[in-house]
Amino acid sequence: MIAERAERAQRTGARVVLDAIWAEGVEVIFGYPGGAIMPLYDALFGHRLRHVLVRHEAAAVFAAGGYARASGKVGVCVATSGPGATNFVTGILDAMMDSIPLVAITGQVSTALMGTDGFQEADITAITHAITKRNLVVRNARELLPALRTAFRLARGPRPGPVLLDLPTDVLKTIVPEHSAPIRSLDSRTLPRASPAAVTATVELIRSARQPVAIIGGGVRAADASAVYRRFCERVRLPHTATINGLGAADPQDEHFLGMLGMHGWKAANLAVAQADLILAFGMRFDDRVTGPPNRFAPGAQIVHADIDSSEFGKIVRADVCLHGDLRETLRELVAALDGQRIPTFDDWCERVRALGGPLPRDRSQSGRLSATDAIGELFERLAPDAIVATDVGQHQMWAAQRARPAHPRNFLTSAGLGTMGFGLPAAIGAAFVPGGRPVVAIVGDGGFQMSLAELATIRRYDLPVKIVLIDNRNLGMVRQWQQLFYDARYSATNLSDNPEFCEIAHAYGIRAESVGVPEDLAGALKRLIAHPSAMLLHCACYPEENVWPIVPAGQAMHEMMEAER
Amino acid sequence: MIAAFNVRDGRILARLIHLAHRFGCVYTRAEALQRDGSFRVRIHLDGPSEALARLRMQIDKLAREDKENNP
Repeated sequence: MIAERAERAQRTGARVVLDAIWAEGVEVIFGYPGGAIMPLYDALFGHRLRHVLVRHEAAAVFAAGGYARASGKVGVCVATSGPGATNFVTGILDAMMDSIPLVAITGQVSTALMGTDGFQEADITAITHAITKRNLVVRNARELLPALRTAFRLARGPRPGPVLLDLPTDVLKTIVPEHSAPIRSLDSRTLPRASPAAVTATVELIRSARQPVAIIGGGVRAADASAVYRRFCERVRLPHTATINGLGAADPQDEHFLGMLGMHGWKAANLAVAQADLILAFGMRFDDRVTGPPNRFAPGAQIVHADIDSSEFGKIVRADVCLHGDLRETLRELVAALDGQRIPTFDDWCERVRALGGPLPRDRSQSGRLSATDAIGELFERLAPDAIVATDVGQHQMWAAQRARPAHPRNFLTSAGLGTMGFGLPAAIGAAFVPGGRPVVAIVGDGGFQMSLAELATIRRYDLPVKIVLIDNRNLGMVRQWQQLFYDARYSATNLSDNPEFCEIAHAYGIRAESVGVPEDLAGALKRLIAHPSAMLLHCACYPEENVWPIVPAGQAMHEMMEAER
Repeated sequence: MIAAFNVRDGRILARLIHLAHRFGCVYTRAEALQRDGSFRVRIHLDGPSEALARLRMQIDKLAREDKENNP
């Protein structure tokens, strides 16, 4: 005890930072060392906080995001000043767009050098001001602990997001006297609650609706409101759908759940929203990929919008009723207010919506070649229900989102708002560090995989049992699809026919790999992939012309879908 | 539209100027007076009414979060 107190009395700023991270319940951080952040890495030596060394700072921030998405905890990433810090930028914005709790820590040149264009100096707080909830240069070691605690609190919410702390190297080296004054608790803030009048108005709208549809977004995951949302759906038997970030929040077995909404959403979901007379939007922000032109979104519907962030109300689509508050509490109050009320069954409407749908449209025969949709579809059929799936960005992401039926909102990780290629593999790495031993699968395309494949070394170093399903169509497929459909088939800079031998690359990193190129080999290959106890790459050589269907062309309303011939 | 508010983090004025530009609005006058560790910000904004309304919501959010995080 005495020794511990003496140690605490001699803590450097760097040690204060690490202890504060640990005290916030974070057990693993992702990073890459460099000059200005060296004091922190020195303090890490022997510290109980686990550090995961990635091979590029961008992977650190994506991995931290993946960890946060899969665990619900704050993801923490560390990089040095200058180029290390600027390599964080895309991942920070990715977290901002999807409301992911993240604390990014960057080294900075010493306070005396700041502003002199010192070696590896970047004004990272100015650079990230627009893409963080808050950022701060901590210039005094005494401010470290309060800054860390504020950063974690802010990252968590009410609406989660990224916070960046820029730590000059001399501040990290400073001996910090033990705090004598207690730090005021910052976690006691009460969350806003929806007004009773708005809850009552929502109940009345539900009671008088004939064709209601509920839409859920990432806010349900952020608020940990999945269970109460499912209770709401048991009480009000209405058709419901999800944005890509809302997948997993609804019970996938619910017969009234229509699957994903949006540009590549299920037909029934898009048509139901277009025909609805009431939209109940829970924790979603009316992204243009979901609404199309806002003035053509659900034109006959009254709209109830529930969100923790009041600046979302009316931002894109006007709302008739705004439920401003913590979503879990809002849904609880809504369920309670519905208790004892006569709620229509909406059976006819549900029946009609079901008739609007049908299976996902497919391309015509692929003449014996391997189809990406078959590969992804069969993968989901074989995966354990608790598996975590991380996708990269592009066609495979949409095929996966259409076919995934995650049982939990933290089981499907994808870069939704920003659509960041290179996200999937490091995000899967981050998810693999979440306790619980859930299987982790990365579904990646050949484009995005090549933006992140250095992280195979990270997988190997930590012996992570991440399964990689590489959908290789030797194209930047989504761009190629748009060029085919909307740019007169002028295929500019999308051909990747000179892709490397991916299996050989995996082997070079010490990772088992297998390639499949014909449909009849798929089942066996997937079986071996899932059964393999450690990391493995399954290279799916798919035919390149396959498109994502349906697709809503840019500028069109959501019901104006293009469909392939069945 | 004239927005006037108090914040501890004076950089919020810079953020607001960037947001106005992004929303297709312009600022015709901006000032920040520091007193007792906080800034009294006053900014004159012009632009389409819908954009100004969105900007107003962002101003309220930035000011509210600043107040919550700098008690």
